Amino acid sequence: MSALTLPWGLYVHIPFCQARCTYCDFNTITGMGESDHVRYVEALVREWSREEIPGGPMVSIFFGGGTPSLVHPQLLAQVIQAVGERVYVPPDAEITVETNPGTVTDAKLGILREAGVNRLSIGAQARQNSHLVALNRIHDVAAIDDTVRMAREAGFTNISLDAIYGLPGQTLAEWQETVEGLLALRPQHLSLYALIVEPGTPLKQQLDRGAIRLPHDDVTAEMADWAAQRLTDGGLMPYEISNYAIPGYESRHNRLYWQLEPYLALGAGAHAYVEGRRWWNVRGVRRYMEMVEQERDPTDSEEQLSREEEMREYLWLGLRQRRGVDRDEFRARFGHDPVLLFQAVLAALRDQDLLTVSPAAIQLTRRGWDVANVVARALVDAEPAELPS
Amino acid sequence: MDQQHIRNFSIIAHIDHGKSTLADRLIESTGTLTSREMAPQVLDSMELERERGITIKAQAVRLFYEHLGETYELNLIDTPGHVDFTYEVSRALQACEGALLVVDAAQGVEAQTLANLYMALDHDLSIVPVINKIDLPSADPERVMEELMEIGVDGTDAALVSAKQGIGIEKVLAEVVEKVPPPSGDPASPLRALIFDSRFDSYKGVLVYIRVTDGEIKIGDRIRFMATAKEFEVTEMGVFGPHPLPVDRLATGEVGFFAAQIKTVQDTRVGDTVTNADRPAKEPLPGYRPAQPMVYSGLYPVDSQDYGRLREALEKLQLNDAALTFEPETSAALGFGFRAGFLGLLHMEVIQERLEREYDLTLITTAPNVVYEVQLVTGETLRVDNPALLPPAGDLAVIEEPVVEANIITPSDYIGAVMELAQERRGTYMNLSYLDNVRAMLTYRLPLGEIMYDFFDQLKSRSRGYASLDYQLDGMQAADLVRMDILLNGEVVDALSTIVHKDRAYQKGRALAEKLRDLIPRQLFEVPIQAAIGARVIARETVKAMRKDVLAKCYGGDITRKRKLLEKQKEGKRRMKSVGNVEIPQEAFMAILRVDEQ
Repeated sequence: MSALTLPWGLYVHIPFCQARCTYCDFNTITGMGESDHVRYVEALVREWSREEIPGGPMVSIFFGGGTPSLVHPQLLAQVIQAVGERVYVPPDAEITVETNPGTVTDAKLGILREAGVNRLSIGAQARQNSHLVALNRIHDVAAIDDTVRMAREAGFTNISLDAIYGLPGQTLAEWQETVEGLLALRPQHLSLYALIVEPGTPLKQQLDRGAIRLPHDDVTAEMADWAAQRLTDGGLMPYEISNYAIPGYESRHNRLYWQLEPYLALGAGAHAYVEGRRWWNVRGVRRYMEMVEQERDPTDSEEQLSREEEMREYLWLGLRQRRGVDRDEFRARFGHDPVLLFQAVLAALRDQDLLTVSPAAIQLTRRGWDVANVVARALVDAEPAELPS
Repeated sequence: MDQQHIRNFSIIAHIDHGKSTLADRLIESTGTLTSREMAPQVLDSMELERERGITIKAQAVRLFYEHLGETYELNLIDTPGHVDFTYEVSRALQACEGALLVVDAAQGVEAQTLANLYMALDHDLSIVPVINKIDLPSADPERVMEELMEIGVDGTDAALVSAKQGIGIEKVLAEVVEKVPPPSGDPASPLRALIFDSRFDSYKGVLVYIRVTDGEIKIGDRIRFMATAKEFEVTEMGVFGPHPLPVDRLATGEVGFFAAQIKTVQDTRVGDTVTNADRPAKEPLPGYRPAQPMVYSGLYPVDSQDYGRLREALEKLQLNDAALTFEPETSAALGFGFRAGFLGLLHMEVIQERLEREYDLTLITTAPNVVYEVQLVTGETLRVDNPALLPPAGDLAVIEEPVVEANIITPSDYIGAVMELAQERRGTYMNLSYLDNVRAMLTYRLPLGEIMYDFFDQLKSRSRGYASLDYQLDGMQAADLVRMDILLNGEVVDALSTIVHKDRAYQKGRALAEKLRDLIPRQLFEVPIQAAIGARVIARETVKAMRKDVLAKCYGGDITRKRKLLEKQKEGKRRMKSVGNVEIPQEAFMAILRVDEQ
């Protein structure tokens, strides 16, 4: 199988934010106005018009940010329309817009529905106003509830919510309140992330200054374990390390990433991947727009994975999923059984009770799920055996 | 230069009292170097010396100075500024007739001032007192003069100097000529020259720094080193001005260097006497003793592939450092490495740093230990330089450890605190005297092993930075010592064994186990840490199993970055040593040094 037949998707980066969250190190920009949004979306459409289209079926479009819901929905509709002019977007394609509570109205949501958006990923993060304020979120708890209610009323039936645990000063009880509160909104999908302190963020500075403190590792681990159990009990099954869904509502777009399926990318700093080649655009929003307007390629840099590197990434990314790595799919893609290729390292991991190998698939054990990085580190430079092709 | 116009002198001072800056000024003001050529602290030529602001090896510079219409040759012999190199200091002083005793105008007399002064007086040197840093707002030269009187130096005519601002330099030079006697050797006697330093030059072989005491030495002479009995032909001679200048002879009283196709400094021991092989002197100059390492530590390459490179690097360093010793050693925990012997902790740190910096090696160093003399019940005696090799308690009759006599100068307010510290470290009180009405000198006998680690830091912190320390070795002393082993996951980690005093074993064991618990990262499984004496476990801690080790987020834009993160983590793990299945970070092997930290 190759880019000619694999399903593929499109990532569209909308970098605009009203304010920057303390933990965020994404490519975002604040303080830009509507005319910038218009100009940026024109650049997206122009970049799209020059993209080389993979041969397989298109399965998803994902508007990520930044805050895609900050720009006028008509602008996002323009992008979707431009996509449709060059490729067939099947009716069951997943079209997601990341949405911040407090940035949408009934009318705006209606326009998104109209344009074909069928999934909203709403950044709830916490259900205590004190934490939302501390993180510099632009909304309160009530806005989360309002946004979900409006989305339902607008006809969205696939809603995902994000939350973060291990926040400065967060207690287990607060986290339980967050999870319960989000479950009560009956989402189809939940993403629960352990807080990552990235260098250069205000969060990092606050911690370095000693102004705030993170919970103990054991407490954070307890939060993760408690939530996993609670969501499973509530019918949201873990299908990836940080992601839970009612069966059938797993994110198609995310699966592209974990299975190294092709994805194109539009916008400042956006990353694309096709057949071992990964490339990304310049990060600066103005620079990106200028380059596209001047008919220049906005690619900043790229890497080409060797066949071996691609196989290794396929394994450690694939194992993040509960379904693990399907041996037939791997063989169809790379021509060999992964168990034969990586026999030694896989056997060692199995002996440590971190993964299981069945005739169909390689999957992490419960313990492997907790320490997936141990498995990933073992695989990240594993040498495949020499096999006759 | 005729003998009457030669002056050989050193500068002695407590650390930071401005010795190197004064040397720079003397060189500059005699026109030996133009100020354009002056880099700060010309004599500290090793990069490390400049960075650390200490002098590791001695050097000599010839200055010409005109005084009352006559030209004098002044040889400034620099001395190392650290207690590790006391023997080197004593050899440099033996090459002189006088010494500038530099005292900081604000700090006053300190422990090293005193130690150096006594050493200079032992060598019958004329003392020229210099009070430096008189430009400081807190300078109090009058108080310092009184302190000098108290320690037996006539401080009333001390030169008042600011080396930094170039004040009083002329007076210092004049005093050198007037107060330091000319060399007194006999030009007609057979050659006797004292080696006070040597260093390896990759083109010329070893450069031997000498002071000619009797007779003379010329190019082409066949010379003999009296202690090592090695003979060589002198191929080149020179003096430092401070750039090397060739000469064809060095006469009685003069200072310079020669080269003679010598391959290693092991042949040219500091303190040895050079004589003429064809007309040898009957007696060597007094005071030579071979360098004796006092502190040992295991050096292991993190990457076992680097073992050969480590050996080569040690061999190269040894070319220039007769005090460095090393023997191959195998550790169950760390693999193949070397047990290296050093003069002291600073010497050890300098060597370790040079290995890592100049030879690009990544090393695991075990905690340093002193050398023990052990008598077995069978009557046999052993020198033990690796705690893991101490025989079982049942086989031991007596263990002796090296002790030092330490002089501590402290404001009298902190006498109690300093005494408490010395008692904690098994010190034996010897004496207490007062320098003036606010400062006192305490003398203690202390085990070297007890002051090696953080004694100096503790001394500083308990005296708010005011106390100063100097010590000299004072023989061996029997003590009730035992070996304490550390077990990780039930296995003894030989590189973590230490020798401790029986009365303090429990406390040390508990502290070390706790420290290791904090230093050893969580592993996939629970890791018990035990401290044991023989079969008896005296402390136990546990590193709990790792609960979570996952990347929370891993999406399209992140994969390359996350992969690099994983690769970096893996590289970090590679730098750890694995004992059994336990990954141990480098710092853990030095944990014992830090157990006394609060």
